[in-house]
Amino acid sequence: MVEEKKPNKQDVIETEISMGTVHPAALEPYRVRLFVEDEIVKEAEITIGVNHRGIERIMEGLPVEKANSLTEKVCGICSNAHIWNSVLVAEKGLGIEIPERANYIRIIMEELERLHSHFLYLAHGSEVLGHETFSMRAFSIRETAMELLRMIGGNRVQYGASIIGGVRPRCELNEMRIQKIAEGMDEIEKGITKFADRFVLDPIVMSRIEGIGVIPQKQAIKLEVTGPTLRATGVAQDLREKMKEYEPFDFDVITLDDGDVKSNLLMRVLEIPESIKIIRQAIKNLPSGPVVDRSWEMFDCNTIKSYIEVPRGTLYHSYAIEDGRVRGSVIRTPSMSNIGAMQYACIGDHVTDAQLCIVQCDPCFTCTDRAIKIIDL
Amino acid sequence: MSYIPILQVTLTVISTLALAFIIGTLLPGIERKYIQARIQQRIGPPVTSPGIMAPLKFSFKENLNPNSPLPSLYKSLPIICFFAVFLILLSLTPQMYGFKAFTSIIAIVGFLKVEEVAYVLMGSLSKSVMSLGLPFPDLAKGAAHPDTERSYLEDISSKRAFRMIAFGSFPLYLAMFIPVAISQSIFLSDIVAYQQANGPFIFTVAGIIGAIVFFIGYMILLNEYPFSILKAKADVIEGPYMEYSSKYRSVLYLTRGFFMFTLGVLFSVLFIGIPPNILSWGILVNIAVALIFPVLMSIMSAFSPVFTYRQFYPVVAATSILGVLAIVIGLL
Repeated sequence: MVEEKKPNKQDVIETEISMGTVHPAALEPYRVRLFVEDEIVKEAEITIGVNHRGIERIMEGLPVEKANSLTEKVCGICSNAHIWNSVLVAEKGLGIEIPERANYIRIIMEELERLHSHFLYLAHGSEVLGHETFSMRAFSIRETAMELLRMIGGNRVQYGASIIGGVRPRCELNEMRIQKIAEGMDEIEKGITKFADRFVLDPIVMSRIEGIGVIPQKQAIKLEVTGPTLRATGVAQDLREKMKEYEPFDFDVITLDDGDVKSNLLMRVLEIPESIKIIRQAIKNLPSGPVVDRSWEMFDCNTIKSYIEVPRGTLYHSYAIEDGRVRGSVIRTPSMSNIGAMQYACIGDHVTDAQLCIVQCDPCFTCTDRAIKIIDL
Repeated sequence: MSYIPILQVTLTVISTLALAFIIGTLLPGIERKYIQARIQQRIGPPVTSPGIMAPLKFSFKENLNPNSPLPSLYKSLPIICFFAVFLILLSLTPQMYGFKAFTSIIAIVGFLKVEEVAYVLMGSLSKSVMSLGLPFPDLAKGAAHPDTERSYLEDISSKRAFRMIAFGSFPLYLAMFIPVAISQSIFLSDIVAYQQANGPFIFTVAGIIGAIVFFIGYMILLNEYPFSILKAKADVIEGPYMEYSSKYRSVLYLTRGFFMFTLGVLFSVLFIGIPPNILSWGILVNIAVALIFPVLMSIMSAFSPVFTYRQFYPVVAATSILGVLAIVIGLL
């Protein structure tokens, strides 16, 4: 078990370094203030809010189907997860049971999304590490997942697969598509195996990421960290185990112990084969039948909550339905829980490692820019 | 009558320098297109882009005045750097060997130091908007230390450049003194003459070790990955170069290619004993070395992450020890 870092409390810190809101090491606009002494971070503060789009406000009063489509725009990486969870809210509230085949297709979409998200993480992490070659290789392997998503959903980013009652008919998987998915999984498996071998056996890379950005398990639990970032500290918590949608599938929950950048990077590397395993089971046992059940009826219901496990952790959606329209929508993304960990991870490490410590928690600040409090001065 | 040899010498030196400059403009492109891009399985930029077309494009762009306490000095630094590199190459040409003080190892170390000190000044004279965070007064509440002095990103790179002067450049300078130890002279003419009489140093034990140390020093001085802490993208972005635009950035890009060639030539003079002379076939050796070095550097950088001090100190210490060892072997 890794010991907890105890930063020395000081009244005066030598220097503040402010990075962002625009910085090439950051994929999104956010700001990090690092309080440093001799280039060692003593305290860190992350500020988001630049990319607030008010999606929940726009959703207010929209017909449920339309509002569901809008949730897909929350994130460009886990767009499927948002629409799926939003649709699940409506389905729970309206008591809709979807066809089994539709559930399998949803799982395939979600796991493909997890694959591309994890590869993006590896690519971005490698780039921040300063290792362009690993970054390019991760992007190159990711292409297969992206193309499979495009094949099923018709788009590389916004697939619009889930609808109330099942999946869109255009996402139906015929023999040719199943064959392509199977081939894609073989390709990704081969790619990640090679990538992992080279990554783990590279002593320079290992020396650069080992013991950096440590988040001890106790601290991770205290900060309510979620997803692979929590699992990298040794906590075996994966909501997929409890989701009824995942019941037909067999997979392992991966955990690592150190909670540092190395553990976080390896966590994603090890989770990729699990996703491949789930997709292979899904295409092998894909039930026959319709992909959508349109025989449901709309009625009013109180606030319904839904939690699912997305590539970054636990995603929460909730809203009430009134006259077929959405009321009081709330979305909580995993990065909201992980911001505390990002700040904590920077402490005690070199300034050059600060972005790496943030990136290790797989931030998606644009999706997290949700809550806004207006104080009347 | 005496004007003819002088004119001939002048033309030879100018031609040698011009050739060096032309090849120097191609080196960054070769490095990025044919090595890094191939390793990374991508197309990469056109070979002329980083060294020729980008400087050309920048030279026609509108200049932005930097937010600098001494803008004139700040803007003149790339030109000073270029001039320092020019002087190094000039001192390496055999036609200049008559000017003993100018063509000694001490003079070359001095010119290299100008280059290094320029980075410190560039960083300390630049205060770009990238460090400000927000382009309006920062009234954000909640900062744990509201009274802390804010540092510009260039300040950090300036401090790093200072540290590089203190320890980062050890390997290159130690490597440069290995030929001095063997030939017992600080003058290039003696070093070259010694090698022409006794064979190149590269074929001796001290020379082989020296070549390795020189190469590490070469990478450190060029701020190339993994030694690019001075301009690490993860924090200080472009570091000291951040606010240079238009023709000043163009000069910086040209200087880099020219510097790569010059350091390659420096190696061939010190370790192979072949000075750059356009009238001799030996210039091909100079060009070959100047090409091999960026290729090797590019391969190394493609497979390495950027170092922080945790990796930097041990590498520099180990390389410096090797350099000292080579000097001792050379003296024996």
